[in-house]
Amino acid sequence: MMPPQTAGAMTFDSPPSHPKLWLDAVNEWFTTVDHKRIGMLYIGYALVFLLIAGLEAAVMRIQLAVPNNHFVSPQVFNRMFTMHGTTMVFFVGMPILFGFGNYLIPLMIGARDMAFPRLNAFSFWISAFGGLLLYFSFIGGDGLYGAGTAPDVGWFAYAPLTAKLFSPGHSTDYWILGVFLSGIGSVGTALNIVTTIVCMRCKGMTMARMPLLPWLYLVTSAMVFIAIGPLTAAQMMLGFDRFLGAHFFDVQAGGSAVLWMHFFWIFGHPEVYILVLPAFAFANEIIPVFSRKPIFGYSAMVGATVLIGFISLGVWAHHMFTVGLGPAGNTFFTLATMIISVPTGIKIFNWLATLWGGKIRFATPMIFSIAFLFQFLIAGLTGIMLSAAPFDWQLGNSYFVVAHFHFVLVGAILYMIFAAFYYWFPKMSGKMLSETLGKWHFWLFTIGFHLTFDFMHIPGLMGMPRRIYTYEADRGWAVWNMIESIGMIFQAAAILIFVWNVVRSYRHGEEAGPDPWDAWTLEWSTASPPPHYNFAEEPVVHSRRPLWDLKHPQAPDSDYE
Amino acid sequence: MDWEGKVNAVQEPGKGMHAEHTASLHLPAPTVWPMVLGLGITLIAAGLVTNETISVLGLVLSSMAAVGWFRNVLPREKQEQITVPVSAEAAAQASAQPFRSPHTPVLVRPAYSFVSGIEAGLAGGAAMAIIAIVFSWIKFHSLWYGINLLAAGSFIGWTDAPDSFLSQFHPQGLLAALAIHALVSVLVGLLYGAMLPIFPRKSLLTAGLIAPLLWSALACSMMKVVSPILSERMNWWWFVLSQVAYGLVAGAVINLRVKVRSAEFQALPFATRAGLHTDAKIGKDEGRR
Repeated sequence: MMPPQTAGAMTFDSPPSHPKLWLDAVNEWFTTVDHKRIGMLYIGYALVFLLIAGLEAAVMRIQLAVPNNHFVSPQVFNRMFTMHGTTMVFFVGMPILFGFGNYLIPLMIGARDMAFPRLNAFSFWISAFGGLLLYFSFIGGDGLYGAGTAPDVGWFAYAPLTAKLFSPGHSTDYWILGVFLSGIGSVGTALNIVTTIVCMRCKGMTMARMPLLPWLYLVTSAMVFIAIGPLTAAQMMLGFDRFLGAHFFDVQAGGSAVLWMHFFWIFGHPEVYILVLPAFAFANEIIPVFSRKPIFGYSAMVGATVLIGFISLGVWAHHMFTVGLGPAGNTFFTLATMIISVPTGIKIFNWLATLWGGKIRFATPMIFSIAFLFQFLIAGLTGIMLSAAPFDWQLGNSYFVVAHFHFVLVGAILYMIFAAFYYWFPKMSGKMLSETLGKWHFWLFTIGFHLTFDFMHIPGLMGMPRRIYTYEADRGWAVWNMIESIGMIFQAAAILIFVWNVVRSYRHGEEAGPDPWDAWTLEWSTASPPPHYNFAEEPVVHSRRPLWDLKHPQAPDSDYE
Repeated sequence: MDWEGKVNAVQEPGKGMHAEHTASLHLPAPTVWPMVLGLGITLIAAGLVTNETISVLGLVLSSMAAVGWFRNVLPREKQEQITVPVSAEAAAQASAQPFRSPHTPVLVRPAYSFVSGIEAGLAGGAAMAIIAIVFSWIKFHSLWYGINLLAAGSFIGWTDAPDSFLSQFHPQGLLAALAIHALVSVLVGLLYGAMLPIFPRKSLLTAGLIAPLLWSALACSMMKVVSPILSERMNWWWFVLSQVAYGLVAGAVINLRVKVRSAEFQALPFATRAGLHTDAKIGKDEGRR
């Protein structure tokens, strides 16, 4: 039900509301091809999986909180870290970012929908069903350990652990099929995003005037095309090994375990950038609005994004230094990994330059964004450390690596997802999220995040290997693990506050109006939530900040671009 | 009131317009088939780890969804009509000329004919056969060499048979070669019939040279993998010549039937040339939407 947006006769962007049966509402969501609803389906589904993956992380942290703990069995622990990693990457990160892309891109470029609305719906549903199939493994299949058959081979499912001999039953098959199905959806959505951006921009919106968010999604989608293919191929090969007796990864029959590693990381490392580029995209929209300045270095930001996309395709084997790549491989992948910090650094400097001299408003989206800047810098620095092959030989597969990539995935990506949620929730729902609860969410989560992941570096440096089930008390890891687990409690409390904020604000929140942040891109020019058709008339833009031009006709950006 | 006026009205309540005009636009209608297809494919996969009947159910659902989806977009896309407020100018324009979505079907002009494709295939096949016979006569003083070489695709033992054997008449060879040649010629003719109207510019060049060269290159490289012995026996220059003859004749037949080289046909929008039903008078800007 969409309320009227403005006083008087200005009700043109809000369709009439009629009471609906709940069955009609369900039917509308199941049959929708509207990009906004599909975007919200993606986001809602990802949030549910975020809670599930969070619970799995909590189980791991309880298990590791004290030495010699047996809170869960080793088998369950293996399933927890496998499902946590798989869920966070494939069923939280990808769908939530695609959800925001789906919702925002047509609105930002002045289009009425995505280029292929039905493909859009199909992409969502097949991804969603892939996730459900993966989780069905907990209750379905052969009952390998008498308590379900959830995958337990780690989120990157290294061979030969995935061979039938070492992974009997169907647990690994569920992993293959669930992730395979989500890959189909990812490629479909990427195709839609590219076509929409290339073909459906409104009048006046040249590529040079396009907001940075669609730009970054364009590069992300191109990377999806390249990265998903090798993973899908490798999964099919693994499926052939397991179902048809092929030997692609069977080392005893002439196959190669290292081949899987190459295939997986040719997907896996670009995947990190596939996840982080949309987070950058959110920062590109939020930081200028709350600094009251246009983004610094628009062209450099676009160029850096394209460079990151390109270089990220050539760094995968830094995940494999411990395999023994030889001098040439070590040198190439060390250099390539270090070089990617250059365009990434350009972005950080540009965000800082945008903040510099700005009239900064510390609203919840902005404080999450500022924390992102700091934490992503830390993640980048530990990344550079790990890019040096000799350093990686010492710390590869340790908790130092776990801490590093959680700084990327949580400290950068999840923080920007929260920022995006606070920033665009008013557009999606028509209601403001509570700033007070938002601040509680931010501070509790930040305290928890730093307790957990700052201190996780230390046992890693002391030699604690990742995926370890439990440890002896004399290793000296206990105090650090206890601190990490206490951090988890803060994070869990923060997430509960976030969920409460969403539910409460959706029902009783303050009306947002069309443009609560005094922003500049096209999505803020229509009602909140936007009508089905987005814009009654096709927008016409003359600069990168069309709403600034309208609000300030005496000094429009179009005079200076 | 244009778009900018509307935005100002949204941003500043009270200053908005009070006289409202409306028009209708069309958006894709909701459909359940994408979800059903996603479920069907998932169930096909789930059958691998549960029970075969689940895969069968998935296959049935996927087939139903594929048909349902197809019927949702062809011959005409199902859309829902939405009334929206527009500016006075747009409303006046709409009353003078009814609003049409870029997807609204107005002109139905079939550009593709199965019959012309079959005719083109048969005519091209005949031209190709003539070149093959000429080749056989010049190189082996026999009408049958080329025919038997084609038949070797069906009779594996003929692949490394001596030239003298392939130069003789074999009724089973003639039947096999005729079947292979007719089938492939008609299929390629249908492809030509579909493709040339879609890409009408320089159609004879496409049909008579570019396509034959591409196909010959593909056939040559594949033959080396599929049957190296047969590949060595092929005279690829003559093969290319026969393909060019096929392409020129088949292209000419398509052109005669569909008039793809006419200015009127070439002026049609891509979607119409591609056989989709659409508005022939669609404007450049509308086409982008």
